[in-house]
Amino acid sequence: MNVQKTSTGKMNGKELITVGIFSAIYFAINLVFMVAGGIHPIIWLMMPAFIALCTGVPYMLLCAKVPKTGAITLMGLITGLIYFATGTFTIVILLTFLAACIIAEIIRKATGYKSTVGNLFSYVVFSVGMIGSPLPIWLFRNDFLTQIREQGMGEHYVQVLDGLATGKMLVIMILLTIICAFVGSGLSKIMFRKHFEKAGMV
Amino acid sequence: MLKLDPRTCLILLVIANVVIFIQNSAVIEIVWIGLLLVLLCICGAARSAAKLAGVFAGCMILQYIIFPIAPKAIVSIFFIFISYARKAMPCLIVGTLIMKTVSVRELTAALLKWKVPYSFIISLSVSIRYFPAIKEEIGYIRDAMKLRNIKFADKFECMIVPIMMSAAATSDELSAAAVTRGIENPCEKTSIIDIKYGIADYICIAAGILFTVLAVVIR
Repeated sequence: MNVQKTSTGKMNGKELITVGIFSAIYFAINLVFMVAGGIHPIIWLMMPAFIALCTGVPYMLLCAKVPKTGAITLMGLITGLIYFATGTFTIVILLTFLAACIIAEIIRKATGYKSTVGNLFSYVVFSVGMIGSPLPIWLFRNDFLTQIREQGMGEHYVQVLDGLATGKMLVIMILLTIICAFVGSGLSKIMFRKHFEKAGMV
Repeated sequence: MLKLDPRTCLILLVIANVVIFIQNSAVIEIVWIGLLLVLLCICGAARSAAKLAGVFAGCMILQYIIFPIAPKAIVSIFFIFISYARKAMPCLIVGTLIMKTVSVRELTAALLKWKVPYSFIISLSVSIRYFPAIKEEIGYIRDAMKLRNIKFADKFECMIVPIMMSAAATSDELSAAAVTRGIENPCEKTSIIDIKYGIADYICIAAGILFTVLAVVIR
């Protein structure tokens, strides 16, 4: 066995399995908010922020457990693929999400995987990638609104959405996501101190 | 009982998405869903097919008969769930087909044949297998929380910490098992499962392509 050989560079089997498990958890949390977004447009617009608030713990734990290149990109790919298979992702979010994953990966690499600040900023970038979900409203407003109307979203939903999606809202949404990402990673820090470090997990 | 190639199921999953995304006529949608349901029956999952057909019929009845006469407030809440369910129906059907007839082993063999990177296959198959575990876990945690009357503010912490703990433990156990079976052996992986396209596979894919074209043409 050559476990030693793979301790730097490429991920070994154990780390791949860890990535798989944490991707499943990330996806599950993500899905809860995705479904909730159907209730009211405002929840959908705030979805990236909610997700940023709640996924800090799995993200940071994954960062701590797999300090290798590719962990975050792989998680993003799996999440994207499962969403694609269920037909709920648009091309825009696939692009923003993938771009965010790669930038987050670069930040992690540049800061040497162990730095708290580096992981924090990579998490912020990663969270902002989720913006791609409501972003099509601003990019191609009319086409998008007709499209979701044809796809069977209620008239009421579409109208409220049209009213809500102003330029100011876009700025608020992005800022709120960034703030929530900071708070989420702060939460994960507290959890780390209170539970995971005591349990010897990291 | 028909057994489709796992690769056909995956291709059908993509086609099912594409058709439902670009189609614009209820006829195509209904015929397409009907055919998929028949396929599900032939593959030996008649009970799930009946269940899904019931759900689809329920959605149609709600949308066309109940909603026009129901109060507006109720409609606006349920409308989106119903139309989501209708849109997701083909995916659900093909998804059920994959769940019932394709094991993760066969899926892995199919992806290996497509030359998907091995590291991606490992993570993906672990991910897919871990979903039921999360569901089970959440059920237990919920019961425990009820028993101890946890305050709302503490719920997030009480939910996420045990999930993380057990995820870490599972990943240790799984990797111990996988290493014992030679996951880190650098040589090329082989599979005992021999997958081949048959006539039924070609028919399914052809039907899928036909419907994609129809969905584009008929507006």
